[in-house]
Amino acid sequence: MSTDVAIRPGRAHAPQNRSRRRPRPKRDRGRVLRLYVPLGLYLVFTLIPFYWMVVFAVRPSGSTTPVPWPITFEHFETVWNDIGYAVFFRNSVIVGVWSLLATTVLAVMGGYALSRFRFRGRSLFMVVLLCTQFIPGAMLLIPLFTIFKTLGLINNLGSLIVADTVFNLPLSVILMSGFISAVPFTVEEAAMVDGCTRLRAFLAVVLPQLRPGLIAVGSFAFIHTWNNFLFALMFVSRQDSFTIPVGLSYTIGEYSADFGALAAGGVVAAVPVVCVFAVVQRYLVTGISAGAVKG
Amino acid sequence: MKRTTAWAAIAVLTVAVAGCGSGSDPGSEESGKTTITFWDNNGGTRTPIYQELIKRFETANPTIHVEYVGIPIASVQQKYDTAIAGGDTPDVGGVTTSYLANLVGQQALEPADDWLGKSAVNGKLAAPMLDSVRDTVPDGKLYLVPGTSNLDVVWYLKDKLPEAPKTWDEFFTDAHELTKAPDQYGYTIRGGAGSIFQVLAEMYAYSGVTEFFDASGKSTVNDPKNVEYLTKLAGLYKKDTPEADVTNDFPKMVAAFGTGKIAMMHHNLGSYNDQVKAHGADKIGAFALPTGLSGKRTIVANPVDGFAVFKGSEHKDAAWKFVEFLVSKESNSYWNQQTGQIPANTEAQGDSWVTALPHLKTAVDALNDPNTAVVSPPYYLPQFSSITKADTEPLFQKVLLGQMKPQEFLDTMAQKLTDAQAEWKKATGG
Repeated sequence: MSTDVAIRPGRAHAPQNRSRRRPRPKRDRGRVLRLYVPLGLYLVFTLIPFYWMVVFAVRPSGSTTPVPWPITFEHFETVWNDIGYAVFFRNSVIVGVWSLLATTVLAVMGGYALSRFRFRGRSLFMVVLLCTQFIPGAMLLIPLFTIFKTLGLINNLGSLIVADTVFNLPLSVILMSGFISAVPFTVEEAAMVDGCTRLRAFLAVVLPQLRPGLIAVGSFAFIHTWNNFLFALMFVSRQDSFTIPVGLSYTIGEYSADFGALAAGGVVAAVPVVCVFAVVQRYLVTGISAGAVKG
Repeated sequence: MKRTTAWAAIAVLTVAVAGCGSGSDPGSEESGKTTITFWDNNGGTRTPIYQELIKRFETANPTIHVEYVGIPIASVQQKYDTAIAGGDTPDVGGVTTSYLANLVGQQALEPADDWLGKSAVNGKLAAPMLDSVRDTVPDGKLYLVPGTSNLDVVWYLKDKLPEAPKTWDEFFTDAHELTKAPDQYGYTIRGGAGSIFQVLAEMYAYSGVTEFFDASGKSTVNDPKNVEYLTKLAGLYKKDTPEADVTNDFPKMVAAFGTGKIAMMHHNLGSYNDQVKAHGADKIGAFALPTGLSGKRTIVANPVDGFAVFKGSEHKDAAWKFVEFLVSKESNSYWNQQTGQIPANTEAQGDSWVTALPHLKTAVDALNDPNTAVVSPPYYLPQFSSITKADTEPLFQKVLLGQMKPQEFLDTMAQKLTDAQAEWKKATGG
């Protein structure tokens, strides 16, 4: 709504009286109540667990003060050196990055096929993809273990990469097909008319427009893989091949619980993810909403 | 050109995946060295202890390399089950009697009777622990070489409770008198995960009942004196204990006790290091569960923790050698001194550090007292774990909240145990 002072026709525009205060629009107060107060409350609700985690991570064992003082980094030393987080962190990064790359590439390929081609069984295939989301990973532990053992992938990070990629793919393929469908085929067609092959047309015309979608799919794949505990514990039986979620579970023993180490481990696990999301968040929101339009 | 680049990228990816984390197979023999794998069933907190022991073992046995793998306690049963189904078990594994029957049922373990008969540690392992292990399996064989056991104790803060209660009446009185809500509570109840075992230990300690099943095979869980105790315990909730107790699992309970606002907490010897870290060794004390109505001390046996050799091991001699080392006097003493638990090796039980730790001396004295009766829970029942966890933990919460009567709760649990016992007897011809 314009707040400009109305100008009478035929008259020169009279200068504004700067001493008069412009009345505050009522909708600002309403906006604060409708938008910022609920957001603020939700933010507090969301951030309290993070605050708890940071407080426990930096205050000495036995301390109960809500504000951590004095600050200590002994828990970080414990998790990084004694528990072996340095190794777990490296493994988590390897598995996370490779799973991200594999999921993204395969999701683009599968999503393109679902989006651009009409083939027999396409609808059934999409339904089957969706139905696989209902199968919990725990049910497939033993069959997957047997397959990986036959392939010689037990105690190998490759088993985690393959398993996580496979479980990430169904939703990623469906999501990516939505993003690709949002790009008009006519643009691709025009490139092909100009002499490009289908692949060249895809790479030159479609792929650049898929950046938000690629980031959305890649981010979800990375987060899911980063947090995966079950596969990391079951398909690997070497101390130097475990990942961060397994390392976090070490801090709660049968008869003891080191909350400081648990919190420090949580901070170590959360920081990379938070940094990644801070960088990609604007693409993520765009990607999710764009993908939701067409499917 | 671009197509070549794409295929090259795929080839590199494939090779990189295949190369990720691959190393030499455990159990392989390289330059005369035998490698055995050892899975620690409580990985993380005890990893440094085992790493030290492995270093000592390898120094004494240079032809054997032990590959240590720590398994988080919360997932160890699932890990073993997956490994057994997939045919990828370790050579030696840490096992407790709470899931021993499950592993034996899958025929995964090698009996230790013949080995123990010829071993240097024969006659030096605590007989009650050996009996407890044999009682867990239908064929009565020794599938687990005991390394340690535990005892339920009540930890208390000495500045709040100068003298430990000796009877249950004194205990309830102290819990009430020490409560100045909301800043201080006399006791904390474990109402969440793991609650039932603690309740069973308290009930049987109070009632003095010495068998889990009577002669006719009926469970004694709903004995009138057990009901009497549970009624008193439920009466403490929210009056002399925090309201949050209803969801207390072990970490929450220990965290709450660590704040210093709770005077007494029932747990076991294993959390000694946590208590010392939170309060200081001179501020913390422990007493065994008080004697009950019978005037005798009755203890519900904690799971025995030890070591098992798996049938699939290709290096059984080396595996048994490692087990023998772990339960020898020096190693068993070192391990239990670090964890604050009861050694299985009787020579280690006589070490000076045992008598120097008051809570451990209390525990060993209680166990060795000829007047102490030990009640063995039916770990051999396949349904025991589900009955005492998934089936009854939510019902116990209802008891605390006043939504279920103690009698009804114990009748339900007793019926389930009786049915499970009858089924087991039918299946095993026992």
